[in-house]
Amino acid sequence: MSEKIGIYVCECGPNIADKVDIENIMDEISKLEDFKNKELVVKKHKLLCSNEGKEFLEKEINENKLTHLVCAACSPRDHDTTFINVCKKTHLNPYLYRIVNIREHCAWIIPDKDEATKKAIQYIHAGMNRVLYQDSLFEKELDSNPDVLVIGGGIAGMEAALNLAGKQRRVFLIDKEETLGGKAAFLTEQNIVQQKISDIQKNNNIKVFTKTVLDKLIGFMGNFEIVLKSTENPDETTELLAGALVVAIGYELFNSKKLSEFNYEDNDDVINSLELGRMFSENKKITLKNGKEPKSVTLVHCVGREKVGFCSKICCNYMLRISNYLKEQSSNIKITHLIKYLNLPYKEDQNYYDKIKEKGVEFIRYSDLSVKGTKVEYTDINDKKGKLESELVILAPAMIASKDSEELAEMLNIDLHETGYFQEIHQKINPVSSTTDGIFIIGSARGPANIVDAMQQAKAATGKIFTQLIPGEKIIPEVMVSEILEAYCTGCQTCLNVCSYDAIYFDDERGISVVNEAVCRGCGNCVGSCPSGSIRTKHFTNPQLYQEVKEAIR
Amino acid sequence: MDNPENVLIIGSGVAGMEASLMLSKAGKKVYLVENLPIIGGKIIKNEESFPNMDCSTCLVAPIQQEILQDANIEVLTLSTVEKVTGKPGDFKVIVRKKARYVSLEACLGCGMCYPVCPVVLKNEWEENLMDKKAIYVPCSGSLPNVPAIDASQCLHLNGKDKSCNKCVEACMFGAVDFSQKDEEIKVNVTGIIVATGFDLFNVQELQNLGYGKYPGVYTAFEFERLFASNGPTEGKLFLRDTEKTPDSVAIVHCVGRDEVGYCSNICCMSSSKHARFIKHNLHDAKIYNIYSDICLSDKSYQKFFDETKSHDSEFIFQSDRKKMNITKKDGKLEVSYFNGKETKESILVDMVILANALRPSDTIEELSKALEIKRDSFGFIEIEPSKIGSVDTSRPGIFVAGCAEGPKDVQGSVIQSEAAVAGILSMLDQ
Repeated sequence: MSEKIGIYVCECGPNIADKVDIENIMDEISKLEDFKNKELVVKKHKLLCSNEGKEFLEKEINENKLTHLVCAACSPRDHDTTFINVCKKTHLNPYLYRIVNIREHCAWIIPDKDEATKKAIQYIHAGMNRVLYQDSLFEKELDSNPDVLVIGGGIAGMEAALNLAGKQRRVFLIDKEETLGGKAAFLTEQNIVQQKISDIQKNNNIKVFTKTVLDKLIGFMGNFEIVLKSTENPDETTELLAGALVVAIGYELFNSKKLSEFNYEDNDDVINSLELGRMFSENKKITLKNGKEPKSVTLVHCVGREKVGFCSKICCNYMLRISNYLKEQSSNIKITHLIKYLNLPYKEDQNYYDKIKEKGVEFIRYSDLSVKGTKVEYTDINDKKGKLESELVILAPAMIASKDSEELAEMLNIDLHETGYFQEIHQKINPVSSTTDGIFIIGSARGPANIVDAMQQAKAATGKIFTQLIPGEKIIPEVMVSEILEAYCTGCQTCLNVCSYDAIYFDDERGISVVNEAVCRGCGNCVGSCPSGSIRTKHFTNPQLYQEVKEAIR
Repeated sequence: MDNPENVLIIGSGVAGMEASLMLSKAGKKVYLVENLPIIGGKIIKNEESFPNMDCSTCLVAPIQQEILQDANIEVLTLSTVEKVTGKPGDFKVIVRKKARYVSLEACLGCGMCYPVCPVVLKNEWEENLMDKKAIYVPCSGSLPNVPAIDASQCLHLNGKDKSCNKCVEACMFGAVDFSQKDEEIKVNVTGIIVATGFDLFNVQELQNLGYGKYPGVYTAFEFERLFASNGPTEGKLFLRDTEKTPDSVAIVHCVGRDEVGYCSNICCMSSSKHARFIKHNLHDAKIYNIYSDICLSDKSYQKFFDETKSHDSEFIFQSDRKKMNITKKDGKLEVSYFNGKETKESILVDMVILANALRPSDTIEELSKALEIKRDSFGFIEIEPSKIGSVDTSRPGIFVAGCAEGPKDVQGSVIQSEAAVAGILSMLDQ
């Protein structure tokens, strides 16, 4: 079949039309020397992405029986999918189409119209070169497993498990500790946590593994193969299949002892927020080591904040609650908060703070301080020095990422943020999804979160899984994957080491590497590393790239 | 029930858009109701978003496009929800849809109709910093990129000059349609998500800050539009009275915080962002941020704040927000405040940006009545107290997401909308 290439130039309203000479582009493209033996259809349109534009394009492809299509328009991020969807409605395989970005790459950045036009012609020419070397590719469908593995049995993990589990979806909930509950058990009304634990025990669709950690994970969204390991006996393993993972391993407290100004190991009446929470949940009251109720308390906020480089968001509120409790117990108690900035991000916080202030609780803004026994010496923001001698000192150390994060990130192949917490794929518009499809991050594993935050994030991950992994529905894996040309493969196995997705295995019998197409994401690492040049990524082959680049850089 | 799997989403900001796309992907039919002629919400007023200073339009436009192209999502612009009866799983909703007078199908968004319209109006979407015509899109880059006609101002439609057909004549595609009528649309839905966002504290309530009296005093959202490349100055920083660029700027945090009764969560970061933008464009400008506390509610925000503080702006602590005063002195604005030592100080600047508090949106009272859902003491939609950690409202089957529930950043809004989707789908599952 002879080739017939359609080249459609989008005016993008005035966006492209005003900045490049479209008539000139069409004219030059039509008479390209190296395409003189090919049949070309060169047309323009006001707005190819509009409904009218898409219909126009569809009609053009059909009526002209196009074999290849080039759309000279905007960034592929905007409308690549739009035009792919148009192709899907026609006989034309979408991989025989190419978008050329003459808006962001030409019209919007080159003030001189002639120069912008010249570059646009060159880019379209490059796209035409490339499209001729492209091959038809076809999507495949794969079965997917709707079950979910939740790592971490704190409030976030438990909430996720309870929301996810259903008639058609089982949940495996693992925790390295002996019991479920996490840190929230010490920090909140016990009954919330206890209620969740009992709901989980009653739920037939949730299987709990305590004293268990993840040992190994391979696979991809919809089809993860999981090995769990007992913390007591590493030889005791369990194999599972699941379609998605939720990571809810929580946080740790910054070790105040790392700061020379806090010597709280030396004094039993200098305690941190979690120790206080534990004391309260065990004894139902706050006391000194000697069992007596304190008459004066100093609460130090932001311990280690500068070292860790972020605000822990929830400690101000927690410290205010402690203060409120102590004042309710004894109105004569002297309470002083030493604060850096008071962070009150939740709408109820301000009233709460105002109420506590009215009760006579004092707030001092410090720039520097040291703790000696229960004596706190500080410098305030006006460089005035002061001293507080109280019976009890409560520190609010920064919340930091769990020490297991790094190892887990490696095992799950997900990224960490520079703060050590797990990294969202997009912090703003995709906040509970990790950098790997099918793995979600919630609660204080992705950054400081209070109980409400953690539970809402658990529900958010539930929403994501409900919409991405529907029981009974197939998933469509990546089409642009790597392939190994058997004849050239020398069996050196270099590619196995560079693959980020564990998508390549070695076939001993044939002595060659083989790509698992369902796992491969087409990153191209193996292509670059192959010493014999026997691997290529579909839709990004050397001839395709060469044809495009040779014109683009002419 | 005609279709057991319809969902109504009210508000098309980041929260409403995320929920719409997710539910559509799960095979549900979504009615997305928006009272403006365009979708996208407040985020599209921002040129850049913190902390990565990524282009907001680039972030949101593909999402807006996807919504408009999604066959499962029926976008009802210029629409409000009037009444909801029935029960979870079977709500009967009445939507009032105002006529656009321009066909969404026929219009290509070429813009030929604006210049010919003789009626000049203030563009509220642009914080009144520029004009619009009676046939208008709120800003360039609007989606859908189809104008609407303000019927009360259009000479043809309000009857002042029936013969005015200028836009009809200018339109090459026959898209202007004066015969369109307001409609009442009835839909049956299983569940509802309220994601109507926020409005801003009216800074004119605080006379001492000189807004409205001195042209050099701006609100945060006015500044967002000055800063926007598709805004009134195309991103150039001119003072509205002199058309000069400012040499010095004071950014005042927590404006209206005492009046509304809460911290608005996002202004410390947006004020830092404004400082960066000014410094980036006017290297020699002296920038002050006057704060009373610093709220940094994400792991990545402190770094952004620290960098702003060391490179772009001086941060000044004020001890009593109520004692701030802004007056005119020597052709400049004098901002006086009480510092940490509780002594009065002042600075002279060319421009003041008031970071005003977020408050419940203007439409929320009426909407909450139509939906019969409870609001909290501030006027935001209340999450059912017995369902801690959820996004359920007081009426089963109705969920809330984003700033309709209280001030929060984009991330927090998206999390709640994803949680609301889980709520809806759990309901359908049963």
